[in-house]
Amino acid sequence: MKSLTKFMDSFGAILLAIIWIAPLLFAFWAATHSTSDAVNLNLLSPWTLENFRVAWSGAPWLKYFFNTFMLVTMILIGQFFLTTLAGFAFAQLQFPGKDFVFILVLMQLFILPEVLIVENYAMVSRLGLFDSILGVGMPYMASAFGIFLMRQAFKGVPIELHEAARIEGCGLLGILWRVYVPLAKPTYLAYALVSVSTHWNNFLWPLIVTNSPDTRPLTVGLSIFGAPENGVDISIISAATLMSVAPLLIAFLIFQRQFVQSFLRTGIK
Amino acid sequence: MTTAPIVELKDVAKRWNGQLGVEEISLDIPEGSFTALLGPSGCGKSTTLRLLAGLELPDEGKILIDGKDVTTSAASDRNLSMVFQSYALFPHLSVAENVVFGLKVRRVPKKERQEKLHRALEITGLLGYEDRKPGELSGGQRQRVALARAIVAGQRLCLMDEPLSNLDAKLRNSVRKDIKKLQRDLGITVIYVTHDQTEAMSMADTVVLMKDGHIQQVGTPDDLYSRPNNTFVAEFVGAPPMALLKSSILDGFGGDKTIGIRAENIQIVPKGEGRMRCTVNESEFLGAETLIGLDHEGTAGLCVLKPGLSMVAEGNEIDISFNDENLHVFDAAGQRLTG
Repeated sequence: MKSLTKFMDSFGAILLAIIWIAPLLFAFWAATHSTSDAVNLNLLSPWTLENFRVAWSGAPWLKYFFNTFMLVTMILIGQFFLTTLAGFAFAQLQFPGKDFVFILVLMQLFILPEVLIVENYAMVSRLGLFDSILGVGMPYMASAFGIFLMRQAFKGVPIELHEAARIEGCGLLGILWRVYVPLAKPTYLAYALVSVSTHWNNFLWPLIVTNSPDTRPLTVGLSIFGAPENGVDISIISAATLMSVAPLLIAFLIFQRQFVQSFLRTGIK
Repeated sequence: MTTAPIVELKDVAKRWNGQLGVEEISLDIPEGSFTALLGPSGCGKSTTLRLLAGLELPDEGKILIDGKDVTTSAASDRNLSMVFQSYALFPHLSVAENVVFGLKVRRVPKKERQEKLHRALEITGLLGYEDRKPGELSGGQRQRVALARAIVAGQRLCLMDEPLSNLDAKLRNSVRKDIKKLQRDLGITVIYVTHDQTEAMSMADTVVLMKDGHIQQVGTPDDLYSRPNNTFVAEFVGAPPMALLKSSILDGFGGDKTIGIRAENIQIVPKGEGRMRCTVNESEFLGAETLIGLDHEGTAGLCVLKPGLSMVAEGNEIDISFNDENLHVFDAAGQRLTG
């Protein structure tokens, strides 16, 4: 009985893994074969890199990569800055209305960003940031999740360390920088992994707020590249898709361990 | 020690909503002295120390350090160092970085920092451990890192909050001597919080005994032991503590007083010659002597010491005697009456 349960567990896990990875495997298959071979799933058909060449020359990918890279970096820096300060305030400072404000921040967690798309669009336009990378990143910088995460991490720092730093002559920001931030390093790493992968893959908002190849991130560029009016060629689209996800995929393979741990630690689905 | 006091507390009070903090704390602590704040847990000794450190602000009263009013100054402006019970070492920094943390914050030049670090590590016997992280050190070593951090800046006042309570008994004895020697060699003023009277009595020049947020007695260890101010001090200080007797069971003391007597001043005498006849309730062998606990109506904690191993069976009756000059007399409220 026990061995059957065990078997079912592994069987289920393997089945899920196969379902999960199948699209990626198919994309890999299609990208490395001609269109007709790819669709026929002819296992003996010749391999080719031609699709990558065609896809690469079909759109300003380098620019898209650069845009996405700038976008995730900017968001991450903004998030680190804001969530650190806000998390510290909620964790260690006393000010009137603290609990109320914190509840407001937490309520943001319940609201899907998509609901706010119109309002965000109007706000970004008012700020004159329409069709700019900063405009794409701005709405995500004051992340409620990040603030909550940092608050929890800072709350776990023993108060004696805070007091010792005070006696040694540190000011409030000095304590934050020299004591709290270094001790929350694992949390920063976990949060960075989650944030980068989320915003690398984000599509809807950048699609709406960008208007030119100069600001478009990869996801939007890819969708325009694969749009029906450009003619559907499954192999070339697959090649382009693989190129888009490659940096993240490689990063995942390298940081696999931290990545999984970060999800375990922070409990996000 | 006739120098002006380095620390003065004037009628300091700190209350937490409803809860008792400390009240009417007035203290003068001379420069270069070793003062222990002693008392049972919850007596306000740690609060007093935290008020001095600037980690809490008093509701009433004044705190002067080195003649300057620092009642509301920030902790960093008080020119003192502190050793925490948990040591409060920064786990992400190496031993060397932990020790020079404060110097770095105060922007001491690198060369001077190195010299001070070397000296502090030399004094505390930590040379060679510079690059270890606190997690890689034993409890005793961590404790020494905390000490090194406290002395590296050369502050004249050092506060210690139960620095030995996380060490095992054997280590505690040796570190006790180390701290005392350190304090003497460097000539610094140490204010030391402890609930362990052995620590307080063996290390301090002055012991401040507290209870329920009030100071009970300030004096040398000998003062507290030989001339306790009240019955609380009498019962708290000494091992075994002073026995308390109702005056009504002795002749010539009236009926409403309390008489205190220490075990070493009681003699066992042959039956019929003693002033009291007591029942033995326990015998405890301490090594050099045996402690015999006695029961008698109207007494508490009565016991007598016999040299060597001489257990007396429970329930035996023995007669005891003592001289009047060794008795401590307290009034009905528990305050000391005689000199």
